[in-house]
Amino acid sequence: MGATSDAETICPTGKTISSEPQGPLPATAAKISVRHLNFFYSRRQVLYDIGLDIPEKKITALIGPSGCGKSTFLRTLNRMFETVPYTRVEGEVKLDGEDIFGMSVVDLRRRVGMVFQKSNPFPKSIFDNVAFGARVNGLKNRDKLREVVETSLRRAALWDEVKDSLRKSAYSLSGGQQQRLCIARALAVDPEVILLDEPCSALDPIATAKIEDLLFDLVGSCTIIIVTHNMQQAARVADQTGFFLLGRLIEFDKTEVMFKNPSRKETEDYISGRFG
Amino acid sequence: MGTAAAPLPRIRAASHHRLRRTILDFLGWGMSAIAFLLLGGAMVWILAVVVMRGYHALSLTVITHVTEGYGGGLLNAIEGTLILAFGGLILSAPLGLAAGIYLAEFDRGRLAPVIRFLADVLVGVPSIVIGYFCYVTLVERLGWKFSVAAGSVALAIISLPYICRTSEMALRQVPRALREGAYALGARDSRVVLGICVPTALPGILTGVLLALAISVGETAPLIYTADWSNYLWTGHLTKEPIGYLTYAIWAFITEPFASAHALAYAAAFFVTLFVLLISIASRMVLVERPGWRRPWTR
Amino acid sequence: MNFRRLTALLASILGGILVVIVTFLAVYAWPAVRFNRLHFLTQNNWNLGNLYADPIMVRGQQVLPAAHYGILFLIAGTLLSTLVAIVLAVPIGVGAAVFLAEALPPVMRAWVSLFVELLAAIPSVVYGLWGYAVVIPFLGHHLFPWMVEHFGFIPFFGGHAGSGYGLLTCGLVLTLMIVPLITATVRDALVTQPAALREGAVALGASRFETLWSVLLPGVRRVLTGASILATGRALGETMAVLMISGNALNYLPNNIYSPISTMASFIVSQLDSALEDPTGMAVRSLAEVALVLCLISIAVNGIARVLLLYQDRQLTRAV
Repeated sequence: MGATSDAETICPTGKTISSEPQGPLPATAAKISVRHLNFFYSRRQVLYDIGLDIPEKKITALIGPSGCGKSTFLRTLNRMFETVPYTRVEGEVKLDGEDIFGMSVVDLRRRVGMVFQKSNPFPKSIFDNVAFGARVNGLKNRDKLREVVETSLRRAALWDEVKDSLRKSAYSLSGGQQQRLCIARALAVDPEVILLDEPCSALDPIATAKIEDLLFDLVGSCTIIIVTHNMQQAARVADQTGFFLLGRLIEFDKTEVMFKNPSRKETEDYISGRFG
Repeated sequence: MGTAAAPLPRIRAASHHRLRRTILDFLGWGMSAIAFLLLGGAMVWILAVVVMRGYHALSLTVITHVTEGYGGGLLNAIEGTLILAFGGLILSAPLGLAAGIYLAEFDRGRLAPVIRFLADVLVGVPSIVIGYFCYVTLVERLGWKFSVAAGSVALAIISLPYICRTSEMALRQVPRALREGAYALGARDSRVVLGICVPTALPGILTGVLLALAISVGETAPLIYTADWSNYLWTGHLTKEPIGYLTYAIWAFITEPFASAHALAYAAAFFVTLFVLLISIASRMVLVERPGWRRPWTR
Repeated sequence: MNFRRLTALLASILGGILVVIVTFLAVYAWPAVRFNRLHFLTQNNWNLGNLYADPIMVRGQQVLPAAHYGILFLIAGTLLSTLVAIVLAVPIGVGAAVFLAEALPPVMRAWVSLFVELLAAIPSVVYGLWGYAVVIPFLGHHLFPWMVEHFGFIPFFGGHAGSGYGLLTCGLVLTLMIVPLITATVRDALVTQPAALREGAVALGASRFETLWSVLLPGVRRVLTGASILATGRALGETMAVLMISGNALNYLPNNIYSPISTMASFIVSQLDSALEDPTGMAVRSLAEVALVLCLISIAVNGIARVLLLYQDRQLTRAV
């Protein structure tokens, strides 16, 4: 539920912030629940006492100004921060009620996939890129792999564009196509949750629209969490939105409520552009 | 309000001053050109001697016959050089790559900087010291005597830190984003490194191995202490039997008073120098193209 | 065992090799260290003793009578030849680096630099061959006598012109072998200096060379120092080339720059066969002591250079 913190910080508009209980919980079951999450990079604290519930099979957006911790928060959900030294986490994160720090990290990352800000296809063919995750998780049979690759590329709305050139290098695709390839790659392991870290920030509006459409298709089978710098994007795609500021979760509510009638002054200031 | 500031001294570009600056400039560029010409000239001189006298000494006999006394051919030496060099590589390449992987991928905490420092220092240890060490431990204490095994181990020790550091640098060039992508799919360390990082860094890694090969082919002193010399082709024994190699021929035969021996020395120098230069040029061409490649130090 | 631990273990083997080498040499040479004590480093007398007599006990060790090992001439030879090489290599190296970095258009730069850097790739023994076959006759018959005649008034430049084998010859050839290291490093450092520095100086009216001398070169001082120390390390350990052109002096110090010398590295090679004739093994162990001294010197020199260059390393090894 809500979280309280002792230290207070000054918000850019000059008001002090203190965390208060978040907005009303969604009625559907929580896929991921976070309680009292604190994140430290060496001595520096980056996330303060985060608590929220991510609803299942819905799109949740996380917005906030640069450097406020939303990407860091995203990376705790699939324990990606562990690839960086000197990081430390306190608090509780549960996936379907199971503690993510207790389960095998390899299993966790299969169930919770990630798409990055800048597309990062491997220097391999399109086919091998998508198949990589499946192969790593044990799938060896050639026919099954072909099936998985086709299904994933279809779900990522890329199949028609690449079906005749699966053996070509992934780098022969355009930026938007590469990003969809990365989505296909993440889908190939059949995750329950997909985390997207500003996936469209390097793409033009047409490519962005394609990806946003594809999210609507995916949400029927996956829970989606998207970090975005672009408030309009959050307004377009998300069911729930969370607003981060300076390492704290200020407000978390249905998107319409957040944008039309935020309950916190800081949220309203950010949304109306008084700072950013 | 202050008093008016004193007028700035007029900086006059006096003609004698300008002349002096021009002369100094000319001298400066002149000296640097001379320095360059000295080096370029020396290089040309060395190549000329080696190529001309070496080419002159080449004949079919040289590559088809073994050495007989102070004449004959270099077949045994050519074979020996290749066996020793590849033997050394077989030992040092996997180990060096593994160490390079550790230094590039798992550099957290205190072990990695220490190992890196030790590797860098080991590169600078004179090869004769390594050769003597191998002599004392392998040839004498372990009873291997002058042998392919002892020579290969000596070359392996010399190549090892070099391959380790060049592999590390090649792996560090792999963008972080690729690794993250692989981890995010649930791959383990071994899969990420061996499936993504190493294949991506392979050109750099292979180049390091090739350069180590070039160094091994050019080494003499440590092999004098571990492989000695043999006029015969390799008998297949790894220990207790010495083996010949090209650099020995260069050293030992040039001081003999026989023209046939001199010819062999030049021919051997021709082969060795050609081989080493070709590899060095090829590797620079591959590496220098890559942005951000830091110059690997040379032995 | 997980992957990370496995690679850590293998990497530690690499790290351990250096430690093992030093330890082993020290242990093996210990009897010689005890026998030779400090006069190993201060006396000029390498003498295997009477090879036909029976061994006797001296200072707790079995040795041949009249056996005595002092390597002052080796230390002198090593340090002096390296000194000559560095004194020549630094200005020539910097000069060539300046030429390559500033006077050549970028297209030519890579190829011409490569040509010069190949000097470092040529094996030591080939340098020895070249030196023995063509350089020494030239120096001994033409250049050195000419120098004695015209520069003989400078201390150490006069006296006997020698045969061409000697200190100056070694210094010259060593220079060629180590210059590329300095040139390459300084050239890279000059090329990567920020354009803003150059522009600032030129905007004040400085000529290209003045910019170079007063602004850019001071900026590469640290790199130059590190590279010079590394180059010194290489010169100290050079074996084959020195063996073939130094004249292999035994038990005497050079009295001018044309005199034959011996270095520690070349001595180890040239003396193995004789040392093996000593049945007590003290000669071989004393050679091991020479190797140990050389090893320790090289570790010290390289360690210092690496620490100096560490800063530069850190800047450039962070991947994107």
